[in-house]
Amino acid sequence: MAPTLVNAAFGALLAAALLGAAFDRRSLAVVVAAAVLPDLDAVASLAVPGATNALLHAVWLPIVAGVGLYWDTRMRDASRLRGRAGWRGVRVAWVALAALLVAGVGPDLFGREGVNLLYPLGDAYYLVNGGFLFSTEDGIVQTFVSFGAEGPGILPLEALGTTESYAIGTFINPDGRPGLSLGVERELHLVRTGWQLVVVAAATALLAVRFRRGGRAGRESRTGRESHESREIPSESTEDAAEVSR
Amino acid sequence: MVSSVVHAGFALLLAAGLLGDHYDRRALAAVLAIVVIPEADSLLGPVMSGAHRTVGHNLVLPAAAAALLYYDTRLRERSALRERLADRWIAVAWVGLFVHAFAHVPLDWVHLEGVNVFWPLRDRFYVLDGEILLSTADGFVQTFVDLQIDPETGSRTLDAGGGGTTETVHVNNPVEPRAPDEATEEPVERIFPIANAGWRLYLIGTGLFALAARRLQDRSPREDGA
Repeated sequence: MAPTLVNAAFGALLAAALLGAAFDRRSLAVVVAAAVLPDLDAVASLAVPGATNALLHAVWLPIVAGVGLYWDTRMRDASRLRGRAGWRGVRVAWVALAALLVAGVGPDLFGREGVNLLYPLGDAYYLVNGGFLFSTEDGIVQTFVSFGAEGPGILPLEALGTTESYAIGTFINPDGRPGLSLGVERELHLVRTGWQLVVVAAATALLAVRFRRGGRAGRESRTGRESHESREIPSESTEDAAEVSR
Repeated sequence: MVSSVVHAGFALLLAAGLLGDHYDRRALAAVLAIVVIPEADSLLGPVMSGAHRTVGHNLVLPAAAAALLYYDTRLRERSALRERLADRWIAVAWVGLFVHAFAHVPLDWVHLEGVNVFWPLRDRFYVLDGEILLSTADGFVQTFVDLQIDPETGSRTLDAGGGGTTETVHVNNPVEPRAPDEATEEPVERIFPIANAGWRLYLIGTGLFALAARRLQDRSPREDGA
């Protein structure tokens, strides 16, 4: 799997981009936790063969969570989540779901180890890697998606193998197979390549800027702060009003 | 160059997180322009040796620009910029600098022959390449910067991925598809890359995702109640 630090960095970037008025330390922590969550399937791989990048990286958990969230917040008469946690709770839940899928699974799918997307209904590790370019000689060339490729999978993507034939080593499970292998050298990658270092650095700097800006806004004159908040409150209060009227 | 599309994708993600109240189409367009303009140094290639990845791809000019911007808008009593520009555009300029320093230069730094980081102060291309890991056998390991101390003389050599200079390095690009001193009879093939690895496609996709999510979201607070 891609280094967990990189998942966390992308989660933080998504949180900063999408949380809007709900952005603070707590909601950031929730979103980053969602981005890191899929990597816990490495722990399950100690007991379940080939669970790494499969059990929690498969699309089913996000789909179920997304349908549940949509049903609760859009289709029910009274949303349980909104009733308990308000507009903020709903926003954080959606962004956490996005982080789970985009920041938690994405870097693995587009990285080097691949993701068992349909596990356990289908069993194949998919990897999206290739090239997409325009050449004056050959026109548009793309090798990300390949139809009719050989391999175990049913999706038109490069397949690396099945849970039987393909094992991913992690810090928790160095050989990727069930059973504790004590005494083996373990490596915990923080960043594997240069671009991952860039992403981690960018996320760190961006969070520093955001929190510094937030702190400054808090220190500056109270009136300025209040006018800033008063702009956010109406959207929430109108929403509440709509709920009451309904 | 790593394709401008990849830079733009990552830049969109960063800009969405930084623009705050100033987030709108015009601000995003300004940020994207800041992402694309440095690639114009490939047009200088024919007149200046090694111009691409040098003139527009260093960290010295952005640092100088940031210092000027800070001096003008914060330290001076009368700011020349504030008289001409609204506050929001000064904020956007800061975001543009951030994006240039984190989404443009470093992504080229890790690619091919790297970038001329300290130009014009020092003329040397650097490639950022390596990994960082914690190992139960070796502890903390990082291979980005290689510091070696000669046990006999005690002299230190530092290898941070330094390569050639503007005289010796040519980074292929659509304007100059191959090194100028390379003479062949083959027809010239110009390649405009869009995404040459999975992670680059991922950066593009994530930027577009952030953009789309912001569009959906901005409607949601009103519609949620309906």
